[in-house]
Amino acid sequence: MDQNFEKTAEQAAAFQKMWSETASKIVQAAFTFSPNSAPPDILRQIRSGIFAALGQSWEEFMRSPQFIESMKQWMDSAITFRKLTNDFLAKARSDLQAPSRQDIDTLMLTIRHMEKRVLDRLDDLAVEVRELSSKANRNGGTRTAGRTRAGNRPTRPTATKTQRL
Amino acid sequence: MNESSTLANPWVQWQQALLDEASANIGRMKNLPGLWQRAQQVRKGVSPAEIVYEEDRLKLRHYVGPAKPRHKTPLVFIYALVNRPYILDLKKGRSVVANFVERGFDTYLVDWGIPTTADRHLTLEDYINGYMVNVLDYLRERTGVEQVNVLGYCMGGTMSAMFTALHPKCVRNLILLAAPIDFAANDSLLNLWTRPENFDVDRLVDAYGNCPPEFLQASFLMLRPVGNFLEKPLAFYEHMHEEKFIEDFLTTETWLQDNIPVPGEVYRQFVKYLYQQNLLTQNRMPVGKRLVNLRSITCPVLNIMAGKDDLVPCSQSTPFNDLVGSRDRKTLCLEGSGHIGLAIGGRAQKDIWPQACQWLAERSA
Repeated sequence: MDQNFEKTAEQAAAFQKMWSETASKIVQAAFTFSPNSAPPDILRQIRSGIFAALGQSWEEFMRSPQFIESMKQWMDSAITFRKLTNDFLAKARSDLQAPSRQDIDTLMLTIRHMEKRVLDRLDDLAVEVRELSSKANRNGGTRTAGRTRAGNRPTRPTATKTQRL
Repeated sequence: MNESSTLANPWVQWQQALLDEASANIGRMKNLPGLWQRAQQVRKGVSPAEIVYEEDRLKLRHYVGPAKPRHKTPLVFIYALVNRPYILDLKKGRSVVANFVERGFDTYLVDWGIPTTADRHLTLEDYINGYMVNVLDYLRERTGVEQVNVLGYCMGGTMSAMFTALHPKCVRNLILLAAPIDFAANDSLLNLWTRPENFDVDRLVDAYGNCPPEFLQASFLMLRPVGNFLEKPLAFYEHMHEEKFIEDFLTTETWLQDNIPVPGEVYRQFVKYLYQQNLLTQNRMPVGKRLVNLRSITCPVLNIMAGKDDLVPCSQSTPFNDLVGSRDRKTLCLEGSGHIGLAIGGRAQKDIWPQACQWLAERSA
């Protein structure tokens, strides 16, 4: 409890220090203008000075441990909420005997693993075929090896079409 | 009363300023009702193009120029997996693509499409050794050349560098545009926020599947909160009566708000291997079964960056030229410009792109 209180007090003090410095920078910026400038220009100068001071302070603030800690807490809460929602919806769908997102994800992952195994096997076969072709060429065969592709991986089946935009 | 005394009189100047403001307000009120409708009518990409290849969600656009391409080696733009690629062809006079098309390059652009939940398991290997290899194979078959020019923007630049390192024989020239390569420096807030002790990417991806676009958008906006939440709306209000400003603003904002999710596994790999472990510069970045060795890149390299880039500071892009095995390498830095300005800014159109086109023309068949 005491530790928590100390931590909070430290954070509050750091936060207060940063923003009191910002306020002083803004006041400085507000009174830094050229006396020769036209009045509307003075206002613009003051405004850009204030924005520059604010921008600098925000940059410092977003690099501060206080901001990063609060960002982490916010992220944690968002992720926890999302997980709770996912679990609740998965249970509801399961009770209704409908496929949940988790079921679909698992299915997708299984298909991807299968695809990967098949493609890896095809890679190996492509290498073997290339080796056999080059051996055949060396032995005076008339057939030539196919053009080397960019990668070992065989291309996916593709659909090609032309569309004017 | 002479001119100098009129200028020196603050009352006269105030009155003039008030009159100007009143006249601007009339213009603002006049433009206000049509803004929403105009925002809906913004064109996403302006140069004439045809889709010549499709695979899953990927579309390869071929830009049709007024004349036959002068250079035989095709040029392919590889865009990032974040946001949509039409920033490279945003509007007339601000189009990177048009620069190359007009100078006689046979130009293509990879549009990755919008990932769905079904794409959450796609990895960098699928993009680099799958889609990119297939696109380049298709281009080589279509054009009858063995090598292709590659231009990668932002995350697309990182992917292009990895691709070139893994398949060096396919790439004739490599151009990187604001591409993050070295993630060691902490200039960018993103580097600090994504440190392992600050950000658990596994939990995020496990819970959400794909990285939500709102999360990315919030991170990007928070890089310059004063600029994005104060200065920008104020500038919009001030210039709302200027037709040219409205047009530019709506076009850019339409693109900025057009966020898309990033496939979960790609996001996990990008954050973990690059932002958190900086494996690419150590030649230990895994893509499938292989490790990316940047020294394998031996083709000519042009590295373009912006001096005031919040998203990808120069410190992340500059080291690339020292990490590759190429002898012919050049850096172009547009001082005072930001990440998007590098593509669509007026100075970039005047200073950077003609130079980049010239550089590529000298090295293309």
